Amino acid sequence: MNKLLDAIKVFYHKLGSYPWFYSISSKLLPIASILAFLFFVIGIIWGIFYSPSDAIQGDIYRIIYMHVPAASVAQSIYFALAIAGFVYVVWKMKMAGLFIKAMAPIGASFTLLALVSGAIWGQPTWGTWWVWDARLTSTLVLLLFYLAIIGLYSSFDNKKSADQAVSILAMVGAINLPIIKKSVDWWNTLHQPSSIRVFEESTISSEMLFPLLVCILAFYLIVFVFGLMAMRAEIATREMNKDWFKKIIINND
Amino acid sequence: MSFLKNFFSREVLIYSKKSSNVISPVIFFLICITFFPLAVSNDPNELSKLAPGLIWICILLAGMLSIQTIFKEDYDDGSLDLFYVRGFSMLQVVLVKIFVNWIFTALPLIFLSCFMVFLLYFPLDKLFNLIGSLFVGTLIISFFGALAGALSLGKNSILGSAIMLPLSLPVLILGSSASTYSNENIAFFILLLSALLFFLVPIISLACIGAIRLHYE
Repeated sequence: MNKLLDAIKVFYHKLGSYPWFYSISSKLLPIASILAFLFFVIGIIWGIFYSPSDAIQGDIYRIIYMHVPAASVAQSIYFALAIAGFVYVVWKMKMAGLFIKAMAPIGASFTLLALVSGAIWGQPTWGTWWVWDARLTSTLVLLLFYLAIIGLYSSFDNKKSADQAVSILAMVGAINLPIIKKSVDWWNTLHQPSSIRVFEESTISSEMLFPLLVCILAFYLIVFVFGLMAMRAEIATREMNKDWFKKIIINND
Repeated sequence: MSFLKNFFSREVLIYSKKSSNVISPVIFFLICITFFPLAVSNDPNELSKLAPGLIWICILLAGMLSIQTIFKEDYDDGSLDLFYVRGFSMLQVVLVKIFVNWIFTALPLIFLSCFMVFLLYFPLDKLFNLIGSLFVGTLIISFFGALAGALSLGKNSILGSAIMLPLSLPVLILGSSASTYSNENIAFFILLLSALLFFLVPIISLACIGAIRLHYE
C-alpha cells in the first residue's frame, strides 16, 4: 500500500515538471494520434454507412455520431478543468494551471460543436434551430463559462496570477454548474410542461450504440491529442528561454 | 471585534459621503425599467406578465455595475495592500464590504421595485414574493459580483460582467420564478434561494480572498 502511495507521489511530482512532461508527451503523441485517427475513421464510417437508419428520423439521425461525443467531451473537459483548478489552488502545481489554459479553448470549441451540430440536427427533426430546453440552455451556459475562463486568462500579463485566477473561476463555476443545471430543469418544467420532449430517451439499438461508443472514444482520444499539443505549445511559450528547452530544440534540428 | 466595527463604520462613512455610489444604480435601474415599456409594449396585460423578469434583469444589471467596483478604490489607493500586509482578517474585510455595498445599493432598488406595481402593473398579490426573493437573491448576486470584481481587479469591467452574469443565472431563474408563480410555490423558491445563499457564502468568500491575494503575488 505504501509503495503504491509512493509511486503515485513520484508520478505526481514528475507530472509537475515541464521537461518530463515535454519528453513523455512527445513519445505519447504519435501513438495517441494514430489511435484517435483510427477510431475516428472507424466510428464515423461505421456510423454513417453501416449502421441502420432510424425508423422515425431516417438518415438525419446520423449526426448523433458527432453531436453526442462532442457534448460528452465538452462536459468532461469542464469537470477536468475544475479538478485542475482545485489542484492548482491547493498544491500550486504549475502544470495544472497550464492544463486549464490549454484545455479551455478546446472545451469551448467542442461545446460550440455540440451546440451547432444539435441545431443542425434539430432543424429537420423538430422544425427549429433552437429550443429553450433545459439541456440546450445549460450547454449554452457551459460555453459562456468557457469563454469567461478564456477571457479572464487573456486579461493577465503575469502567467502565475492568470493561472491562479482561472483556477478559482473554474472551481466556482464547477460548483455552480450543477445548480444552474438543476434550476434550469425546474424553470423548464415549470414554464413549458407540455413542450416537445427534446431528448426522447428511446432505447437505442446496439447496432447504433456500438459505433456511437467508438465515436465517443475517438473524441476523447482527439481531445487527448489536442490537449497534449496545446500543452506542449504552452510549455514552449513559457519555457522558451530555459536551457532544457533550448537543448531539446537543438538536438531535434 | 473592534476592527470589524471600525471597518464597518469606515465603509458606511465612504458610502454616505459619496452619494453617487448610491444614486447611480437607482438611476440606472429606473432608466432600464423605463426602456422596456417603450421598446416592448405598453399594454398593461403584457407588461404585468413580463414585470417579474424585467425587474430581476434590471436589478441584476444595476447591481452588476455597482458591486464590481467594491474593491477597486481600495486597490487603487493602496488601502487594500495595507489591510493585506497588516494581517487583518481578509474574510472580515470581504464580508463587511459586500454587506455594506448591499445595504447602500441593493436595498434602495428593492424599495423602488415596490413601485413597479404602478409602473409595470406588477400584480399586487405577488409583491411579497418579489420582495422576499429580492432580499435573498440580491445578496447572492452581490457575492458573485464581488468575486468577479476581485478577479478582474485592475482589468476592464466588461470582463467582470462576463464572469458574474453566467454565475448569477440560477438566482435569476429562481428569483423570477418565485415572483411569477402562485403563492403556494413561494416558500419553495425562497427556501431554495436561502439554501443557495448559505451554501455559496463561505465558498465565494474564500474564493474572493484567493482572488484578492493573487494580485499581491
